[in-house]
Amino acid sequence: MTASEPFNQAKDVTPHKRFSSGRILAIASNTLTELTRTKVFYFLFIFGLVLLGSSMLSNNFSFGEEFQMLKDVALGAIGIFSTLLAILSTAMLLPRDIEDRTLYTILAKPVPRHDYILGKLLGVFYLLFISIAVMSVLFIILLAHREGIRIGQAALMYENPDDLVAAQNQIRAAAFTPGLWAGLFLILLRACILAAVTLLLSSFATSNLFTIVMAFTVYLIGHIQSIARQYWLESGDLNAFQKVFLSITAIIFPDLQMFNIVDEVVVGRAVPWFLVIKVFGLGTMYILIYLGATLALFRSKEL
Amino acid sequence: MDETPAISLKNVTKRFPIPFRRKAVLAVDNLSLDVPVGQVYGLLGPNGSGKSTTFKVALGLVTPDSGDAFLFGKPSRDVASREEVGFLPENPYFHKFLTGAETLRFFCRLCGLSGAKLTSRVKDLLHLVGLDYAADRRLSGYSKGMLQRIGLAQALVQEPRIVILDEPTAGVDPAGSREIKNLIFQLKEDGKTVLLCSHLLTQVQEVCDRIGIMAAGRLVEEGALDDLIGLRDQIEIRVSGGQTELLQKIEALVTAEGGKVLSIGRPRTTLEDHFLEVTGALSERRSN
Ligand SMILES: Nc1ncnc2c1ncn2[C@@H]1O[C@H](COP(=O)(O)OP(=O)(O)OP(=O)(O)O)[C@@H](O)[C@H]1O
Ligand SMILES: [Mg+2]
Repeated sequence: MTASEPFNQAKDVTPHKRFSSGRILAIASNTLTELTRTKVFYFLFIFGLVLLGSSMLSNNFSFGEEFQMLKDVALGAIGIFSTLLAILSTAMLLPRDIEDRTLYTILAKPVPRHDYILGKLLGVFYLLFISIAVMSVLFIILLAHREGIRIGQAALMYENPDDLVAAQNQIRAAAFTPGLWAGLFLILLRACILAAVTLLLSSFATSNLFTIVMAFTVYLIGHIQSIARQYWLESGDLNAFQKVFLSITAIIFPDLQMFNIVDEVVVGRAVPWFLVIKVFGLGTMYILIYLGATLALFRSKEL
Repeated sequence: MDETPAISLKNVTKRFPIPFRRKAVLAVDNLSLDVPVGQVYGLLGPNGSGKSTTFKVALGLVTPDSGDAFLFGKPSRDVASREEVGFLPENPYFHKFLTGAETLRFFCRLCGLSGAKLTSRVKDLLHLVGLDYAADRRLSGYSKGMLQRIGLAQALVQEPRIVILDEPTAGVDPAGSREIKNLIFQLKEDGKTVLLCSHLLTQVQEVCDRIGIMAAGRLVEEGALDDLIGLRDQIEIRVSGGQTELLQKIEALVTAEGGKVLSIGRPRTTLEDHFLEVTGALSERRSN
């Protein structure tokens, strides 16, 4: 320590900003580093194994069946891993900072609490985006590889060039079906909604276990609530109480049933773009509601 | 002089509820305290007397049940007031997954630094706290004293005008605590205001201009160091009038008798004695 370096250089005083993208990004990238260094990305190996396993079976099928199975397995696995990742990695973010008292050091800087929360959530979104992107790339590479093999096989099977071109086009059409990108995007959106719910839960939960259990409960309710709602609506007139109850649950619990269009993608159906936009709009709304509630709770939280 | 104090607490009271009980811990009890600009203020008190809580209130990290806290006249609960203050928490913990340099870079970015300015600032701070050699090691492998040093560096990131240090020398080796002491002198020379607490009374005595002593959440004594521990019931020669000549004569007399006058000045008790005296009664009362 050399005490000879004075600290009295002229300081350019900038007025304090209520929101600062620099601060939020600093916290977000810090969160991403935190999650990366807790070695969450190891699950990608498991995902790789799942893909490898399913591709080994695939010579027993026709190309149509093979591609569908590959998509089924891959999108299913990406969905499960992103759900687990969203819930498990978000659940411990706030409690860990509070327990380790790292939060004191951060909030003792001119960092408003909303910047901190926004940064944390953005960090998880980064993580989800990167994980889903990596899994998607692995899956796309495999699909392209299998497509190439099938096209090669077709070349041996057809002698008539017209037949060959037709067959190859069929294979291409079956491999990269139009809804694929929309499906992957919707999986990311669902993971982001779950992360936002989990962050909200962790802002008032007393233990990580509670947060995780509650988040999975929300996930389940999110999947069944619209079925229940439909059933009620069909079963006849609702009284006022039931209507209020229904609209409250619809706001509190995300309607995850709307993500069932991912299943359509697997069977190769195109997803109309207006539907994707609608789901995106609803999803964003849920995220904003949960974020708003988190900010409100965290603002007055005693640390 | 009616200059606004750097740190000002007005009738602050803070209770922590005990879960599942009616009672609450009274951590800070109607405490008022002003730290004038440019002074080094030492807050003393037994464990659990509310020093750390007082600091957190001053920083706006803890909301008091009643009373107000101000930094340079701005309410502490406004985030903007924190532009001016650096804080070293007790037993500082940082993200263990970061290296020393990354930690400082993170805090620099939180304070709005970027680019070349950030890089040079990080380097300066690492050098300042003597951690250049460990800059690229993860904090999970840092010793207690090293963490304390990173904590100190982190507190100075944005060159704040106020520095609040909660036990800055805890766990730091003697040489390190001397360095920290010199750093505090340096801060004072630069016109910064320092509020610190420590259980190492000799160190406090060396660096602080003003002392406050807390016990059971209350500020039981407060004042300039010289006023507080300038002489108590001790036997000594007090001289009044005819200063220099008389002193020379006494000195000559002592020397003639084969002795030596080692120092001439105002006698003091030790701060330690004084501290125990003023906190003792209250601590006893609390324990039964
Ligand atoms: N977050 C909290 N929840 C409940 N009680 C608390 C909390 N923080 C402090 N206390 C209580 O408030 C009192 C004062 O604590 P504080 O940490 O301010 O003491 P201190 O003077 O800093 O002690 P030390 O010298 O041990 O650091 C203690 O009785 C403590 O148990
Ligand atoms: Mg303390």
